[in-house]
Amino acid sequence: MQQSRVRFHRRLARLAAAPIRGRIAGVVTDGRNVNPSTSTRSARETDYGALVRAAQGGSQQAMERLLMRAQEIAYRFSLHVCGHADDADDAMQEALLKTYRHAAQIKEPDAFRTWLYRTVKNACLISRRKRVHEPGRLESLDEVVEHADGSVQGIDVPDPGRRPDEVLENSRLRRSLHRALQSLGPEYRLIVFLREVEGLSTREVAQVVGISEANVKTRLHRARLSLRQQLESP
Amino acid sequence: MTPQPTDRCRQPLEQVSRYLDGDLSAAQRRTVGQHLRRCPCCQHMADSLKHTVDTCHKAGGARLPADVRSRARARIATLLASGAVPPRRA
Repeated sequence: MQQSRVRFHRRLARLAAAPIRGRIAGVVTDGRNVNPSTSTRSARETDYGALVRAAQGGSQQAMERLLMRAQEIAYRFSLHVCGHADDADDAMQEALLKTYRHAAQIKEPDAFRTWLYRTVKNACLISRRKRVHEPGRLESLDEVVEHADGSVQGIDVPDPGRRPDEVLENSRLRRSLHRALQSLGPEYRLIVFLREVEGLSTREVAQVVGISEANVKTRLHRARLSLRQQLESP
Repeated sequence: MTPQPTDRCRQPLEQVSRYLDGDLSAAQRRTVGQHLRRCPCCQHMADSLKHTVDTCHKAGGARLPADVRSRARARIATLLASGAVPPRRA
């Protein structure tokens, strides 16, 4: 974790020292305390094109949301596709910095979403290759603990709007899904993650993975059949 | 006991994912739909696959763990406060 933080600050210093080609014109802040993680819209529902256009127009709030979304995707990708949450910090940093550098430059804001998933995919795979010889420290979904009194302690953030039984049910769901996903081959896991978990269209999945749409559909069907078996087995 | 698929189930079973995704032509959709109504085995498979897909969708809406979220937020604050400026489109 410490090494990861040091690497982030080194990269940040390099980014800050890079020649300034221009600033985001007239950075607009509306004075509100903007917390990008408290947005009510999930990553699945995010309109990335609109966020990119707003960020390019100088909205710091939009930029912060994009940066948070990029990190959320990198975290879920590390966990579900790579199966190693210990890689997540590196992948999140990479996604953060690349999004920051790229968002202001992109010519087609609506293409940002597939760019982001491709970037996260590459960041996670590079991070995994670097660490492949290191001992793994799996921050697993199994860390969710149900206490004898029925209370739940887990990776879910306590949310006053959610009942404890809902939190527990979601935690169980995610644990079993995590296990089921890890039973799939990597090429199937990637497709399921992009299509089912993240909600990309078949065309977007094909663009991110670099295969035909027909191939995406075939793999998705096989993966669903296998996932179904895993989820239904005791 | 769960009914077993027959030879007539092969094609509908291959198309059941696309059926759930609304990705079949009207004629194909009608054929698969009719088969599902008549065949408890395939109907069970379709229901089960739908449940699998729904489970995945729910995972997509999950929130980040508190410590991960707080580190992500801190990184954004550090980045924006660093003076690093994103290159602009030419």
